[in-house]
Parts: sequence; structure tokens; C-alpha cells
Amino acid sequence: MSAEENPAAEPAPVIDVQGDGRWMSQHNRFVQECKDAEPDVLFVGDSMVQLMQQYEVWRELFSPLHALNFGIGGDTTCNVLWRLQNGELENIRPRVVVLWVGTNNHEHTADQVAGGILAIAQLVMTHLPKSKIIVLGLLPRGEFPNPLREKNAAVNNLLRASLPRLGPVQFIDMGGSFVHSDGTISSRDMFDFLHLTASAYRTISTTLHELLLQMWEEMPQERRASLV
Amino acid sequence: MSEDSNPAATPTPCQDIQGDGRWMSLHNRFVSDSKGKEPDVLFVGDSLVQLLHEFEVWRKLFSPLHALNFGVGGDATQHVLWRLMNGELDHISPKVVVLWVGTNNHGHTPGQICGGIMAIINVVHQKLPRAHTLVLGLLPRGKSPNPLRERNASVNAVVQAEVVSLSHVSFLDMDPGFIHSDGSIAHQDMYDYLHLTPQAYQRVCQPLHERIKSLLDKHAP
Repeated sequence: MSAEENPAAEPAPVIDVQGDGRWMSQHNRFVQECKDAEPDVLFVGDSMVQLMQQYEVWRELFSPLHALNFGIGGDTTCNVLWRLQNGELENIRPRVVVLWVGTNNHEHTADQVAGGILAIAQLVMTHLPKSKIIVLGLLPRGEFPNPLREKNAAVNNLLRASLPRLGPVQFIDMGGSFVHSDGTISSRDMFDFLHLTASAYRTISTTLHELLLQMWEEMPQERRASLV
Repeated sequence: MSEDSNPAATPTPCQDIQGDGRWMSLHNRFVSDSKGKEPDVLFVGDSLVQLLHEFEVWRKLFSPLHALNFGVGGDATQHVLWRLMNGELDHISPKVVVLWVGTNNHGHTPGQICGGIMAIINVVHQKLPRAHTLVLGLLPRGKSPNPLRERNASVNAVVQAEVVSLSHVSFLDMDPGFIHSDGSIAHQDMYDYLHLTPQAYQRVCQPLHERIKSLLDKHAP
């Protein structure tokens, strides 16, 4: 599916309907952070990414890895695509980009969402040819089985099949532990049946952190100059 | 302003547009929570209430006061009103109800938003005649000066004036000075220029904790 056919792969900023310009303020801040910081890991995505930074586990596990967090609540693949095309990949050379987006693409089909995520991965590969990419699977949501769980699972299946073909991209699905045998998700894991609690973030962060350390081992130590 | 003509004061459940029924799941959980627990303090409102529960400050300052948290992200006054009229107050008798809502009332005037808050206060008073309602002021939002800051400040002024004569209600300004001299709000305080960071919650919750404790102390046994 080409970008012309896939609305989920069309870059689009968030229009300020509420009146306080918060989305653009956050984007501008991230662009500035790219000028000031030298992250080894860049997290980019929606509120699943953004909220992570507010919990203690970020400071413990990811700050020491020189991680930057470019998550914005509510973002779709279109919004993330726009942000990355408009400055959020400039002046930085992270070893790894962690991408977590797609659960807010309510207007799009699973095929389209997967295509949008692929488009973002391809954009990152073009812009940062030496970086590895980790794409996190969309988590299940809602207290009980519902169409959005099916949709997110379908997106994950499409990604699982297509992402490794791109090369430096890994797909990690961490949603398995959240659905109980009776089909429910607990508010102890997702306080609103969408966003993760501190303990749930700790669970997934441990896995992600181990993977990052592993990738550090596998990547040759490059002097900063050679990355530019 | 009658409830009929004020959308902010017309009880309205949230429609499940996305398809996973989360709003109703949360409401149902709050109703069933209210059957099993005996809170002395009930927090009700939007995401600023809901997120508070996820940080250490809740466990340190509010759990010891036997507090329950009925916050739902995105809620405006009309949603909170519906929830409170449809079971969330039916089986509990908290001494203090902490109400923090209004910032999501997009498209409503300060007068309408105040009307919504007053409607909530009235429902609380009807269902819990011995409870004291503590209304929290809306915080400024956005990185730079903008119309929503003005709207929220107006809401606070109108609400404060309305409740001054009510013995069962009081108002607490929650802004410790988030706006810097250049008019900006720092992302260290509001990570998205709306929601509070854990350290900002620490700052605003100290005076809140003190006020709740003093209200609990004054409450007739």
C-alpha cells in the first residue's frame, strides 16, 4: 500500500482545536532537545511512550541509557510521521529508536495502521541508516474482549510478518501478560483499561531494557564522530 | 441558568465512540467499589484526579486518609454529574468530597462550566447531606498565555464567588505558581502543559492534604 493510498501513512500535525497549542509546544520542545542532547535511545510514539517517562522506572532503567522521550498523548501514526519529518530526527544519532504508536488510529483499518507504522520505520531507516529500530506491538485494551483488541492484534500480526524484512527492525509484542484467562484486563495493569500502571510499566520495561542492553553488546562501539 | 439550557450541567454519559467501552467499565468499577469500601474522602473529577492515583503521592498522602479515587480522563462536568447521579455516591458516606473538573469543558463558557460545577455540588449535597465538598481550582494550561488559561481563571473566580456563602462547600486554589515571569509553564511541572508531573503533584498536594485533614477534623462525628 503506497503512502498515497494509505491515510495512516500521510504525515499530519495535530490541529489545535482546544486553543492552548499544546501539541505544537511539545513538538517544538522535542526539536530543541534534538539540538541540545545526544541520545543513545530515542522513544517515539503516543501516550504509552509519554507516560512512561513520568514513572520511576524511566529514571532507573532508561535515563542511564541516555534516552529521550518524544511521546505525545493521542498521537496517531500520521502525527508521529509528521513530527519525525519536521525536525525530531535532526541532529541526533541514537543507536536505537523505539517506536510505539497505532492504538489511537481510530479512523483506520488494521492494514492501514500497520502500513503507517511501516512507513515510520522506513522513514527512520532513511534518516538514521545506522540506527536499529524496535517496534513495540499494540497492547490489548478495554476491560473485556472488544473490537479494538482484535484490531490491535491484527496490526501486530501484520507487523510481525512484515517488519523483519526491513532489516534493522525488531518487533516485540508484550501484550500477552495483560489478558487474564477470563478475557479481562485488570485495572492493576491498566488503570483505565488503556494506560499502564507503574507496575505494568516495570514489567515491560524490564524486558525492553534487557533487549536494549543486548543490542548494545551486539553493536560495535563506534566513536561519536563516525556516527555523524 | 437552568440545567436544560446548560450543557455543562446536563448529566451526560460518555458515548463509546472508540469501541472498547472503557468509560462505562470505569464507571461500573467505581459503583462496585462504592459498595465494598468506606472512604472518608472521595476524589472525583477528570484525568488530573485519575493520574494522581498512579503516583507515590497518593499512597503517601491520601491512602492514609482512606480516600477513593473516581477520576476519569477526559471527563467534563456533565460526565461527572452523570456518574454521581448513577450510582457512584449510592453506597458510601465520605466526609469530604474533593471535586476537580472543568478543564475539559471545551466550547462551554465560564458561566456554563460554573453551572456544571454547582450542579455537581448540589447532587453531592442531596445524596450526602453531611459531606463537605472541596472544589479545587482549575489549573492554568498550555506552554504560553492562551484563551484556555483565561477561561479557567474565570471559572475559578465565578465558582469561588458562588460557594463563599455555602457552609458545606469550600474552594481551594491549586496553583502554587506554575506560571513563570515570562508567562510560560515548564514541562518539568506539566509534561504536556496540562497534566502534572509527579513532582508537581507533590507541590500541589501538600496544601490539599492539609486542607482535607482540617476538614476531616472539623467534621461532626
